[in-house]
Parts: sequence; C-alpha cells; structure tokens
Amino acid sequence: MLSRYVFRHETILALLLVLALALSANLSDRFFTVDNLLNQGRMLTEVGIIAIAMTFVIITGGIDLSVGSILGLSAITLGVVWKTLGVPLPLAMVVAVLAGAVCGAVNGVIIIKSRMPPMIATLGTLALYRGLAEGISQARSVRGYPEWFFVLGQGEFFGVPTQLWVFGLLVVVAAIILGYMTFGRVTYAVGANETAARFSGMNVDRAKLLIYTASGSMAALAAVIFVSRVSTTRSDMGMGIEMDAISAVVLGGTSIFGGRGTMIGTLLGILLIQTMKNGLTLAGVKGDGTIIVIGSILILTILISNLVNRKRD
Amino acid sequence: MKKLLCLTTGLVLMAGTAYAEDVWTGGDGLPTSPLACDGSPATLTASPYNGATVQNAPDLKGKQISIVDVPKLIGIGYFTATAKGVADAAKDLGNVDAKTDGPTKANIDDQITLIDNYVTSGVNGIVFAANDPEAIAPVLKKALSKGIHVVGYDSDSTPDAREWFVNQASFNGVAKALIDNIASQIGEDGAFAIVTSTFTTPVQARWISEMSAYTAKCHPKMKWLETVEAQEDNILSFNQANTLMNKYGDELKGIIGMTTVATPAASEAVKQANMCGKIAVTGLALPNAMKPYINGGCINGVVLWNPSDLGYAATEVLRAAVDGTLKPGDTSVKAGKLGDLKIVDGSVVLLGDPVTFTKENINNFDF
Repeated sequence: MLSRYVFRHETILALLLVLALALSANLSDRFFTVDNLLNQGRMLTEVGIIAIAMTFVIITGGIDLSVGSILGLSAITLGVVWKTLGVPLPLAMVVAVLAGAVCGAVNGVIIIKSRMPPMIATLGTLALYRGLAEGISQARSVRGYPEWFFVLGQGEFFGVPTQLWVFGLLVVVAAIILGYMTFGRVTYAVGANETAARFSGMNVDRAKLLIYTASGSMAALAAVIFVSRVSTTRSDMGMGIEMDAISAVVLGGTSIFGGRGTMIGTLLGILLIQTMKNGLTLAGVKGDGTIIVIGSILILTILISNLVNRKRD
Repeated sequence: MKKLLCLTTGLVLMAGTAYAEDVWTGGDGLPTSPLACDGSPATLTASPYNGATVQNAPDLKGKQISIVDVPKLIGIGYFTATAKGVADAAKDLGNVDAKTDGPTKANIDDQITLIDNYVTSGVNGIVFAANDPEAIAPVLKKALSKGIHVVGYDSDSTPDAREWFVNQASFNGVAKALIDNIASQIGEDGAFAIVTSTFTTPVQARWISEMSAYTAKCHPKMKWLETVEAQEDNILSFNQANTLMNKYGDELKGIIGMTTVATPAASEAVKQANMCGKIAVTGLALPNAMKPYINGGCINGVVLWNPSDLGYAATEVLRAAVDGTLKPGDTSVKAGKLGDLKIVDGSVVLLGDPVTFTKENINNFDF
C-alpha cells in the first residue's frame, strides 16, 4: 500500500527537488534567501502558466508547439492595440488575451476538422503566428507603459511577486479541474483511447477545442505578464518557450503518448528546472554547463522513473 | 473542411496585408545625423551626464573585485573576441576577477535571467551587451540599487539603467564607412541589398537608419533594393544572400552584411555562385573570417572596430567607475593600453573610428 506512494513519479521528483534545493543551498549561501526564492518564482511564472495548459494538451496525446509564437503575437497585439489604436490599457490587455484565445481556437479547429497531427498543425501555426507578429509590429517595439502596469510583472502583493499569486491560483484551479471534475476525466480518456472515448459518448472534439483555446489564452496571459516584467513589447518574445514548457511537463511525469499526468507533477517539474538553473548559476556554473545538466536530469529522471515502475509491474 | 479552408485563406490574406508595406529599409525610425560626404569630422558636443548612479556601493577603491561580462550571446567569434578583451584588461589591471557568461541564443529572457542570478550571487560589477535596451533595464537598475557597478558595450540599454556605455564607433561613422565602401565598388548608380540580423536588434536598426540617411545625402542615385533578416545565423545568411542574387539577378551589384556572421556568409554565397567581381560584398566582419575572401581577391574590404579593444575598454571603464577615477562630468577616461578615450553625449565612451580591413592590412589582425 505504501509502495504505491513511494514509487510514484511525483515522489521521486519531490525527492529530487529536495536534493536539488539542499545542494544549491550548500553550494551558495545566497541561494536559500527569501529574496532569491521569490525572485525565482517571478521568473518561472511565464513558463509555468504555459505549462499548466500544456499539461492538459499533452494528456490528450497532443502537443502545442505554437505557444511561444502566440506569446509573441499577443504581446504585439497588446502593444499595438494600446499604443497605435489608442485603446485604454486594461482593455488592450483583455484584447491581447482574446487574441491568444483565438489563436488557440484556430489550432483546435485545424486539429479537429482536418485530423492533422497536432505536432504538424501547431508547427505550421508556430511559423504563421510569429510571422504575423513580425509583420504587424513592423519590427518596432512598443515602450512607455504607465507605472501601474508594471505591478503585474515587477510589483509585489503581500510581499510575494504579483504574478506568483496568479500562477498559484491557476495551478490550484487547473489541479481541481484535472483531478476532480468531469472535464478532467474526459481529458484523460481522450488521451488514453480516443476512439473508446468517442464511443462512450464523450464530446471529444469539444474537449480538444477547449483545451487548445485554453492553451492559447494561457500563452497570451503569460505575454501580458512578460511585457509587464520587461517593460517592452517585441515580436521575438517567447521564442523557444514552448520547449521549456514541454520539458517541465514531461519531467513532471506526463506521458507524451497521452492518458497520464498530473498537475502536481508539472509543478514539481517547473520547480526542479528553475532550482537547477538558479542553483547552478549561483554555484558558478556557466550557462552552457547549466543546460547540459538540465538535459541530463530530464533524461535520467524519466529513465529512473520508468525503471522503478517496470520493476513493480 | 470548407470552413477550415476559408479560415486558412483568411489568415494568409491577413499575413499578406501585414507584409504589403513598401521598401522597408529596416531602420528604427529615430532621428539621424549623417556625416559630411567629404569626411570632415563631426563636431562633438559635450552634454551633462545622463547615466545612472549606483546606490550604496561599497568602497572598493584599488581592492580586488569580481565582475561578470554578459554578451548578447556566447559561441560566436565577435563575442569571443570581446571576452578575450575583458580577460586581457583584468590581467593588465591585476585586481579584477572577470568571467564571461551569456545566453547561447540572443534571447532577451535568458539574458535577463542570467544577469538576475549574478546580481543575487553578489558580483561587484557587470559589463553587458544588451539584446534589448528596454527589456534589460529593470534588472540592471536592480543591480545598481544593490551597489553593483554597471557598464555597457556594443549594444546599449536605456541610459538610466547603466553608468557608462562604451560605443565601438559612432553610428554615423560606421554608416559612412560602409556606404562609401560599397559606392566605390558598385558606382554611384549601383543597386545593393542589406543582410541584417533582425529588424528588432537596436544597433543594426540604428546603423541602417544612418546608412539610409547618408545614402540619401551623399549617394542619392544608389538604389537600396531590400533589407532582409538572417538572425545571426550562418546558414540563414548564406541562403538569404543566394535568394537576393536569384531574385534581382543582374540588377544586384552589392551586398552589405550588417553582422559579423552575415558578411562572410554572403561572401561565400557570391564566391560559390562565381560572381566574384560582379557582385561586391562589404559589411561588418571579423578579419579572420574574411581572410580567405580578401586574400583570394573575391572581396575588396570590410569594416569593423577591434572587438577585443571594446571588451578591454569596457572593463577599464568599469574599474575606473569602481575606483571613483571616472566621475560624471568627465570628458575622457584612461583605458590602459588604449590610452585616453573621449566621452560624448553625457555618458558614452568612444572607442575610436572604425577600421577598414583590406588586402593590405588584414593579415596584421588576428581575431
């Protein structure tokens, strides 16, 4: 009975995380400070928010490679709608998130209607959305946001970075939906066996459309936070962020073939990657060394987890 | 399925209109100040200090300090050369521990995260080359607020986020050198194209603006065909140069590479197409990468400053700022083996004039 919990992927990850935290604290006395930890929280938020939705996408057996481009396009939308069209900033933020939702929905429609593999469909929109972002922005960055806007990305709320509250709230909501609600069960069913899910009378297409739309919206929300954090808008924002998010989700134990995965696993995956990045840098390891270690950890963790689980079977 | 087709067509149309804009030079749209056509020197105007002030900096005058050099990216020849300059200066000074660390891609987020981590780890100074002037500002301001001295080189941040900026060469100086060079090769009515990094890269955009202004002023009959993006990527630059040759055929007489990656790649493309002598290539380039083409006679000359000197100067300026020997209002700064460097525009240290590398002098340089 106990072994059911001990050998779970999440348990292994949690142990690794504790180990990484202990090691980092040991290697540099600047690591385990409230200041540093909160600051790391600030920096992981954008990838984290995208990874939440990505967990759902990957559990259905899909993938969304276009999130980085959606982030870029939404950021540009925010800048252009506010500055060029003169719409009030709060409204422009809403428009930016809507733009992301539309991009996500387009992904969903292409995948559902054409039965195109999600990897191909979103690979296409990855290029398409980035191209749109560059075209619309005409390569100009939008700057000069008002001071209040920076509260979201650079400010604090009860001593904790504002965006961490947003992230925390989203993780809890997503964990409840995935673990305890009908929609979560449908998500798993679609990934485990799509045909069976269809014959069981589940609305598979609706679930997929919702999930890809959510993925787009989350990327757009990350865009708004990102713009607020770096105080400028550029069309190349979020390039490559899809890989960071997918890495975190997969490290968190979500099966790339679908049907398996948890929100707590994704959260642990994100925390582990961020801890390693920060801990290694503070310990004096250079950037190229850090990514080598992270790549190795990703492969090793999945390997160990698979071995342990195979032995049990 | 029909709906999907409509949707796709719609998107394609949208993308089409986004690109329908006319000859886009790739400039940044900011005001320009082209130099005189005959090369008479521009007047340098002194203006009040506009850099930032470091807060609660510990007194480290003459003491051992540790600094980190954060280039736009690591792994390309240019920033390897600047890193060497940083290391050389640290060695000459004797009381500086210098380390170079940067993102593997010219990515704003990676660079910010990296600097943030170094701020936490508690270095005494940061020299940087920004991937975006605005995006890097908050983290640099944070460094300044923690008593860390900050000096930029190559690509600036907003002035209020660093103390000093070492400028490799004035923008209009580089623009003049490049345009005069290409004009002397393709003639006053020749047509040329530009291969740049991305339209969003601030330095390149600035140069292009200055180039476009200088062309209009001094070589009005020359035709600016197109500016294309090629990141700072070797293969992409090569392909873009080939595309330009295929697209414009005989009309294209010259290519200017705006990055140290694009110029040798464009030279290789011209050489492979057997167009040596028919299409002139110039641009910014490291001498070592250009030696085969220039010594072989395919390419006439390229323009650059010495990037090692740039890193060297940035480190010297940082040390001077830490020691308090460089203060707001100064008009020059001592930079070790480089001698006295001029300070202009409030807080910009000038490295000097750009160098043109030709068959005659290229073999004297090794970087």
